[in-house]
Amino acid sequence: MNAARAADSPAVAEASCVHCSLPVPAGRRSAFCCAGCEVVHGAIAAHGLDQFYRLREASAPAHTTEHDYRELDDPAFQRLHVRGGNDGRAHASLYLEDLRCAACVWLVESAPRCLPGVAEVRVDLGRSRADVSWDPAATSLAAIARHFDRIGHIPYPYRALDRDALRRREDRALLVKLGVAGASVGNLMLLGIALYAGLFGGMSWADTSFFRWVSMCVAVPGLGFAATPFFRTALGALRARRLHLDLPLSIGILAGLVWGSANVIRGVGEIYFDSLAMLVFLLLVARWIVLRHQRRASTAAELLLSLTPSRAHRIDGEHETDVAIDVPIDVPIEAIVPGDLVRVRVGEVIPVDGVVHAGRSAIDVGLLTGESRPVDVAPGAELHAGTLNVAAPLDVRATAVGELTRVGKLVASIEAMSAKAPIERLVDRIAGRFVVVVSSLAALTFVGWSLRSVALGAECAMALLIVTCPCALALATPLAVTVALGRAARRGVLIKGADALERLATPGTLFVDKTGTLTAGELAVVSWRGDLGAAALAAAAEAGSNHPIARALCAHSEPAAPAGDVREELGRGIRARVNGRDVLVGAPPWVGQSARSQPAIDGWIAELAERGETPIAIACNGVIVAVAGLADPVRPDAQAALAELARLGWHVRVLSGDDVRVVERVGAALGVPRAHCQGAASPEDKVTAVVAARARGPVVMVGDGVNDAAAMAAASAGIAVSGAAEIAIEAADVYLRSPSIGEVAATAAGAQATLTTIRRNLRFSLAYNLVAGALAISGLIHPLIAAAVMPLSSLTVLASSLRSKAFR
Amino acid sequence: MSVLYLILPLALAIAGLAVGAFVWTVRSGQLDDVDTPPRRILFDDEPRETR
Repeated sequence: MNAARAADSPAVAEASCVHCSLPVPAGRRSAFCCAGCEVVHGAIAAHGLDQFYRLREASAPAHTTEHDYRELDDPAFQRLHVRGGNDGRAHASLYLEDLRCAACVWLVESAPRCLPGVAEVRVDLGRSRADVSWDPAATSLAAIARHFDRIGHIPYPYRALDRDALRRREDRALLVKLGVAGASVGNLMLLGIALYAGLFGGMSWADTSFFRWVSMCVAVPGLGFAATPFFRTALGALRARRLHLDLPLSIGILAGLVWGSANVIRGVGEIYFDSLAMLVFLLLVARWIVLRHQRRASTAAELLLSLTPSRAHRIDGEHETDVAIDVPIDVPIEAIVPGDLVRVRVGEVIPVDGVVHAGRSAIDVGLLTGESRPVDVAPGAELHAGTLNVAAPLDVRATAVGELTRVGKLVASIEAMSAKAPIERLVDRIAGRFVVVVSSLAALTFVGWSLRSVALGAECAMALLIVTCPCALALATPLAVTVALGRAARRGVLIKGADALERLATPGTLFVDKTGTLTAGELAVVSWRGDLGAAALAAAAEAGSNHPIARALCAHSEPAAPAGDVREELGRGIRARVNGRDVLVGAPPWVGQSARSQPAIDGWIAELAERGETPIAIACNGVIVAVAGLADPVRPDAQAALAELARLGWHVRVLSGDDVRVVERVGAALGVPRAHCQGAASPEDKVTAVVAARARGPVVMVGDGVNDAAAMAAASAGIAVSGAAEIAIEAADVYLRSPSIGEVAATAAGAQATLTTIRRNLRFSLAYNLVAGALAISGLIHPLIAAAVMPLSSLTVLASSLRSKAFR
Repeated sequence: MSVLYLILPLALAIAGLAVGAFVWTVRSGQLDDVDTPPRRILFDDEPRETR
């Protein structure tokens, strides 16, 4: 694709990266667009694997990390994830990032040629998984991981092996049934054609009888085995006193098999084996396709889960207070025990509950509490796992790990809650009425015709049960859902199951977490009072800092000049010399200690704070000259998305853990009434609000944080947005690759469009059943008509599903 | 037409063998991953030892 684009514009073709074909930035004297591509190309060429460039279909910039993966060799990790083989080799599975095409597969599978000791690497492209086996004496898992990293596929431990094994068993069982059904339908069709030809051309009684007996010998064992999934769900539904579409299906299939066999033995009457076999086969195909799509969506979601950090930097030996001296070693998270000292670098998620041992920094606790402003921490402060270190490295003494952390306890409560009550699906509701109508009609038909002859009554009643077997009804939903799921996944909307689509299609209350969905999730300067020129001075002073406030100020303005003599006081502000002037930027009380203020400035500070913004004072040469208001700005598309959601019939509410004033500011900016904005909500408050709203109708919870996860599980459907915490992804039914609320509106619209398609399909199939049923009741049905009508109705439904407007 | 009485069971027996073969391929895991193998055929053979 990139190659084609490059060919269109000669300017680009002149200098495109040897590895990824993207244009090489002007001024970069290299054949590569970036250092990452250069490293990867070097690694590939050094191993003589140039064939990669001939095999590949698509190219993208490579990225690698400098990580040494030593934690993979830690005994704690090996115990959990490495299996020993009886051939003396060790086996492990890794998730690899960016596995896309044949070239990627080839490159990864060529590892044994590059690394002595690696016995075999097998890639599963669909699951982004590589199974590696190696000789532990000759090489190590860390070395293999480093190799994958160097060639551009960053490895992660594969944590879903048990789930995979379970799914594989299910998949294989269904595939075997599909194969048996396929073979049955093929052979029954051939036998059927002979019988139908005999109807017109004449056929001796002995031959007809022989063909009928052979048909029975194929149909009864073949279909009896292939249709077991339907029988099983129908039985389960009966036991639970619930209605399920498989019930009328099973009745139709069983009636067909029993009545057909009876007719074969009696030597008179119709057999419907070929139509039945076609029906079972089509239903199994639909089921298999749906299963595959669902697997794909959940694999993608699981890959995201695996990407969350699973290692910690442990500091061993004598612990000094000086952060710079100790060199931490990487260990898997499983190896950390309470009392260990852990280094948390800037931008990393804190892996344990603990107490700050050394260092001062700012912590983004948004994922846990929903609070958008970073919290400043100093030695002695308590930290929770799952929060993000944003400003400076910290050493943390672990007090609780794994399931005992606050996050861990929250997860346990979510697991208890997320056993969602199964919704009554539209098709099942219809199937319920269908069973009643068809069986009473069959009884009436039997009684009516029995007045003339009991045999005729049984014949017509059975024909009714068989031809009204709701094949198209059963295909209608899975096909529409599969088309929708596939198209949604291409848009970056991962829907974990068909149920979620139906839950999203009925409008109700939609709770939105403010941070990350309605707002950008990052502080920015939204208002400025006083000297506009001071912005450049503030940016200069803050240029070297990593604090979110500093980043916001730097994004707001170009720095005036390089700053000198910078002193940062964490939690208070920064002091620097810019262009010969003393510049002070920070929290107003701290700046006010060493700079003069005026009543006007105090007024501004109070005004900004009242509006839910964070006031930052800027002083120059001992006088406060300006006040900046920092806040998390509303996303540009949020307004339009909320209008779209309202049009679809949703009542949108804001439910956030952030400060009440901040939430109200966002609500006001988006036109959400104050009464519908709830701030300072704890995770428990959110659950309460969701449960209360469920009494009034369907509830969808949109969020990204650990604090939202419980509410998501309690809601009828949960939507997690990009960048969401691991638990939020797990609790959600839908995962959006983009964090914007616009996609939420698109998802809701797509779900509604899917349901419209399903309804249309159901109308089609019911119409077919009406016609076939009427024919059967009047005794006019003929196996040939049944054989024509049944596939025709399925084809109509298929065409209608493909035409669906959902997620276009 | 009496040949049918021999041919038909024979044909079905062969079909049964094919089903058996299919079940074996599924059980032995050959159809677990249907995305990767079609790409693997694109790979050339190992280059022969140079010199």
